[in-house]
Amino acid sequence: MELFEAIKNRRSIRRYTSDPVDDKKIETILEAGRWAPSWANTQCWRFVVVRDPQVITGLADTLFTIKMPDKEIPNPGAGAFSTAPVIIVVCAETGKSGAKHGSGDGSTEYVTDKGDWFMFDTALAVQNMVLAAHALGLGTVILGAFDAIQAEKVLGVPDGYRVVTLLPVGVPDHEGKAPPRKELSEIVVRDRWGK
Amino acid sequence: MDILEAIKNRRSIRHYKADAVDDEAINTVLEAAHWAPSWGNAQCWRFVVVRDPETRVAIADTLTKVKVDNDWVENAAAAAFKQAPVVIVLCAELGRAGFRSDGTPVTDKADYWFMFDAALAMENLVLAAHAIGLGTVIVAGFDAKKVAQILEVPDDSTVVTMTPLGFPGHKGQVSPRKDLSEVIYRDKYGK
Repeated sequence: MELFEAIKNRRSIRRYTSDPVDDKKIETILEAGRWAPSWANTQCWRFVVVRDPQVITGLADTLFTIKMPDKEIPNPGAGAFSTAPVIIVVCAETGKSGAKHGSGDGSTEYVTDKGDWFMFDTALAVQNMVLAAHALGLGTVILGAFDAIQAEKVLGVPDGYRVVTLLPVGVPDHEGKAPPRKELSEIVVRDRWGK
Repeated sequence: MDILEAIKNRRSIRHYKADAVDDEAINTVLEAAHWAPSWGNAQCWRFVVVRDPETRVAIADTLTKVKVDNDWVENAAAAAFKQAPVVIVLCAELGRAGFRSDGTPVTDKADYWFMFDAALAMENLVLAAHAIGLGTVIVAGFDAKKVAQILEVPDDSTVVTMTPLGFPGHKGQVSPRKDLSEVIYRDKYGK
């Protein structure tokens, strides 16, 4: 699929058909993630490919409900977990991205005021992955509103690594809608802020 | 360009030609960036497009110097900010991604979620640039507070990262990637 078509037509998909997704497609998605750039090529990303229904249920239980002023509603991503055949859990090794060369001996020193860049680097990979999935005819949704510490227990993630996001993958059962984007003029300025 | 081809063949470019980059090309890469998904569609990203040569030099001076044999030398990317005709600085509005509308954090990573969303947009931007024949390099080792001063970024936002944008002066080298088997597990971590 042509790049710009993929970028503009990718949608967050929260319900999937019962069609299976084979390992070859999952590998293509992960291969796309692996080619993302990263801080000093540290590649802090790690991926857990979850197909085991029990583990998927365990992960679904970590999703936060949405608290409204008068009620609590289920996480809109919950439906994805009852239908997706695969969940890719994106994890990161901490203390690598953003760290000075040679550190990481327990006293990590970071280069910038942002500290650890694991959120940034994993997202570079995730964007490649959602685009690649779309090009393969698969739907995804990037989920962040869940109890990551509980998810780490479900998966047995060791110290020094963190779960960043949950990415269900499946064949879309609906088209997905495009949430409106801000106009470029609202988010782009020239040479100085506010100009 | 095919999406998978773009993903695999994009390289970090640190030398640029002085050839001009027109506004249409800049709009193409920004348009791609803003089609990225974001937390609750908050779109916390903001882009400063810098053409002014003096500003580009000032920005290049904020790059972290690297110590080689007891001498502090310029970051390899610093020259690129002066060579390339355009620099795109990616900022983020704080307190949006990862937070509820009442300002309370949703996750243990709420304070960093702007980094995640900014990167989703940045990846689209560098892929789009590659597809139209332009080079980029995502630079993070610089004094973000100084850049914020230079660009007059308000306190509710922060400078995240920046890239030169221009025609590549070299091919770019392939940084070796870990094997998929080194970064993938099945069902449980480490399996």
